[in-house]
Amino acid sequence: MYAVDTPPRTSDPAPQPAPKKVNRVRRRSQREARTAWLLSLPTLLILAGLLAYPLYRMILLSFQNMRLRELITGLTPPWAGFDQYTKALTDSVFWGVVARTAVFTVVSVTISVLLGLGVALLMRRVHSKVRLFMMIAMMFVWALPALVAAQAFRWITDSDFGILNYLIDKIPGVDFANHSWFVNPWEGWAVITTLVVWAGIPFLAISLSAGLTQVPKELLEAATVDGASAWQSLRSITLPILKPLLTIVTTLSVIWNFGLFTQNWALRDGHPEPVYQTLATYSYTQAFGQSRYSYGSAISVITVLLMLGVMAFYIRQMFKIGEVD
Amino acid sequence: MARHDEGVVTVGRSRTGTIAANTVGIIFGLLMLFPVYWVLNTAFKPESEVKSFTPTFLPIHPTLDNFKSALGEELFLPAMVNGLIITAMAVAAALVVGFLAALAIARFAFYGRKAIILVVLAVQLVPFLALLIPLFLMLQRAELTNTLPGVALVYLVLLLPYTVWTLRGFISGIPRELDEAAMIDGCTRAQVFWRIILPLTGPGLVATSVYGFIQAWNEFIIINTLNSPEKQNLMAWLLYNQTERGTAWGPLMAGAIITSIPVVIFFLLIQRNIATGLTAGAVKG
Repeated sequence: MYAVDTPPRTSDPAPQPAPKKVNRVRRRSQREARTAWLLSLPTLLILAGLLAYPLYRMILLSFQNMRLRELITGLTPPWAGFDQYTKALTDSVFWGVVARTAVFTVVSVTISVLLGLGVALLMRRVHSKVRLFMMIAMMFVWALPALVAAQAFRWITDSDFGILNYLIDKIPGVDFANHSWFVNPWEGWAVITTLVVWAGIPFLAISLSAGLTQVPKELLEAATVDGASAWQSLRSITLPILKPLLTIVTTLSVIWNFGLFTQNWALRDGHPEPVYQTLATYSYTQAFGQSRYSYGSAISVITVLLMLGVMAFYIRQMFKIGEVD
Repeated sequence: MARHDEGVVTVGRSRTGTIAANTVGIIFGLLMLFPVYWVLNTAFKPESEVKSFTPTFLPIHPTLDNFKSALGEELFLPAMVNGLIITAMAVAAALVVGFLAALAIARFAFYGRKAIILVVLAVQLVPFLALLIPLFLMLQRAELTNTLPGVALVYLVLLLPYTVWTLRGFISGIPRELDEAAMIDGCTRAQVFWRIILPLTGPGLVATSVYGFIQAWNEFIIINTLNSPEKQNLMAWLLYNQTERGTAWGPLMAGAIITSIPVVIFFLLIQRNIATGLTAGAVKG
């Protein structure tokens, strides 16, 4: 735990040179700066070429009208001004997708973070062997590729041979034989949310439990001796110390869940129905399914803009950390 | 109650509370493991058992047929080899390029350092799928669609920001005093790099490359969009399999296991570093 445990280090032993050394020091630091930029150059070039430029192309595309014809012939697509944006922003289907993505993000992140925190706290309370078992279980879940996890859930919720229907059907008076979980979008989304929460808990719980080791146990014990309830200790001691970490893991969860793609893609056989479209799948199906590349780009641009608010928060937090190291 | 676990509060804990906590913990672990177990269980069942309306909780007649049929599929082997080649190319390139940048950020104080950090962090947050359309067009112009290097190039960008950020953490974990002592003893910057920083970053390089492997190995939608079936990796193969014969659950689950074995093994090897790497310094920030 190199990064969590080490005390903050001051960035550089700020040199306070004697006046006549100034020139030599400056020349030296200029040379250092040149070396540093040279070392960073390959990374910066690659990021510029394969991230910044595509980003620029994407914005450009969103103001054009690129269809299959332009793609095949390589002709410059005609300019379309704000047409793609107007089309998206006046389309109730698009707003449905936005609302669905946002609601899913809020719900799934809230459940994941609360459960993750709960599991992290529980891990401090249980016997060390139980804790080890919980860790091993979570490690396996965490290690499972998202696509494989989604296939597992597709199999479990299968209408004919799924174990879920079989078990629910066992409840007296309930008939769940051949029940299809994706006909009713509420049920379908419950499956997707369960999958996302299940797959997300390990990262949250393990990160948070690493963070919990930073809470001084003397403080908690003193509070208990003074008659504080568990809830009071949690609110007044644990959570404030955990806050920076909670902020980061929550923001990360928001970013990941907002970009929900794999789970819907696998669970819906690569053809999510309208009620299962999120911004990511919608943009993809518009672009590559319907050959509306410009419309897909416009949706992507809107997605990026929507995410910027959350990202700004995350970057600020990470940047603070970068300053300390 | 004598408990001496590291950092665990022992004051004011009731026995019934501990029993309840242990029970909840065990149930939680079992619930988490169930889907994983169900994949394994299905993969070893013969088709008659998979297609039975009363599921069996253990394969009654365990068989390896599902694995044989998955492995025997025409596109399985090419997909595995393709995935390995693409992953190796992307990870190697990301390590070399990313290490240099990480070194600059961690060890040099220079004007623009903060800007580079900001760029590296910011690009990590661009939803990569959004860039797929322009990347597709660019690779098409460069005649790199439906090739392995084309996908590797895209994966390189996918891995690079994380690689730089994690390696930065490992390098700044090496005490600066070591550099200084070596310099006083007459080492040049380059010698410090070769003799001190590079060997000491070894574990970090391993952890980072394994993480990169997992990232690239798990990706499917980019490669699925850019390449034809013969040029896919195992994840895309899995998906391809699903639509082709959606009800062949046994082979699909067996394929899923084969596909995730390297990931699970590698992940378990470096899990400690993943947790700390992702949240590096979060508590003290």
